Amino acid sequence: MSAISAAPIKSVDALKAAPEDYQLAVRKIVRSHAVNELYGARVYDEPAIALAPTPYLKWLTCRIAMEEYGHHVRFRQLGEQMGIPDAELTPEGRKPLSIFEFPLKTWEEFCVVKLLADLAEIIQVEDLMKCSFLPLRNLAKMTMPEEIFHSQFGKDTCTELVKTAEGRKKVQAAIDHYFPMMPAFFGRKDSANNALYRKYGIKQHTNEDMRADFLKRVRALVEGHLKLKLPEVAEAA
Amino acid sequence: MSRTPRGDADAAFELLAAFVAEIPALPWFVAAGGTLTPSAIADAEAYVAALGLAPCAVAPVAGWRAATEIAQRPDWSRDWWQAESAREKALHRQGAARFGLAPLLAALTDVTETAAVLRDRAADVLGRAGVEDEALAKVAGGAAAQACHQRALALLAGGDAGRAFAAKYALFAAGRWPLGIVGGTCFVF
Repeated sequence: MSAISAAPIKSVDALKAAPEDYQLAVRKIVRSHAVNELYGARVYDEPAIALAPTPYLKWLTCRIAMEEYGHHVRFRQLGEQMGIPDAELTPEGRKPLSIFEFPLKTWEEFCVVKLLADLAEIIQVEDLMKCSFLPLRNLAKMTMPEEIFHSQFGKDTCTELVKTAEGRKKVQAAIDHYFPMMPAFFGRKDSANNALYRKYGIKQHTNEDMRADFLKRVRALVEGHLKLKLPEVAEAA
Repeated sequence: MSRTPRGDADAAFELLAAFVAEIPALPWFVAAGGTLTPSAIADAEAYVAALGLAPCAVAPVAGWRAATEIAQRPDWSRDWWQAESAREKALHRQGAARFGLAPLLAALTDVTETAAVLRDRAADVLGRAGVEDEALAKVAGGAAAQACHQRALALLAGGDAGRAFAAKYALFAAGRWPLGIVGGTCFVF
């Protein structure tokens, strides 16, 4: 499917005049972000406050949970402006990503989730930074600094944890547990949705390209920086 | 506050609305590092007592670096944190019984969204102190937002079960940052 070169769509009002499949594509992306940001805050960030080992890290985790929740609020507000029903903008109305089906048990797991899942989120948000629908592009630009901080938090905390033998073992166990779920985060190979997103310039890259970018960057982090091992996984979802 | 319901809960929600309106106007963190006033010491003592913990010394903290170190010390009091958590859960139950869970959560969401600005307030004060530390600004913002959440829970639950959070919030409202009980001392930055 070849890309259509068209003027960016500058507002929610202007979206109403866009082709039906363009509107549908944007709705899918906004819904997905609204649902997953909220669910992630609920199942990872909020429970991690209790697991954090010091008041400093507990309060920092409070703030991270607020920021993730704030991302949900921003995507939800855009969804509401676009006329998406409220029920479709929360996890109760839409199925969240499968990575969220594994309840958090340890602080080390949380640090690894921030290391892996927030890097994956950065790659997804980077792809929206040139989105042809400008309200979504602006939202991507607005949330990106916080996503970068969350990912850096994952890197910094894991770097501290692997300084001890016990911490190293726990971080490796968490990577072994969570990393195999990550490639699916980017969607199926040859996805029809992704082809539609690229046709209209809503997204720029294929799912395969983003997955490959993630694997390259995460390998540098886990094997190059932390000196741990990435488990073997099927790279194509 | 448009999402909160009205009816016999009017008084409590009006109290909460006034509390939320006050949040951006307070001098967050501006007194941090200064000499402890008798009022600040009294609030800290009341906070510890209302948590049901043994009385302990109240000590000042000289600066942002010292505050960071204290908040990361391994000898922080688990009893202190658990006493706060237990009271939060009790207030949450009381608030949900009084107003229903959904209205309670909607009201608390308003508080959290308003308190999101407190990271910026901490960053401003840190900047004036010549400290560039984004993580620390977020830590301070997270602590202040938690105090807002706890105070809101206390207001919505009613009664005096939230005395500890009223005293803690009074310290924040006066420009302080109570760092909790570490090594048997209640540190107030």
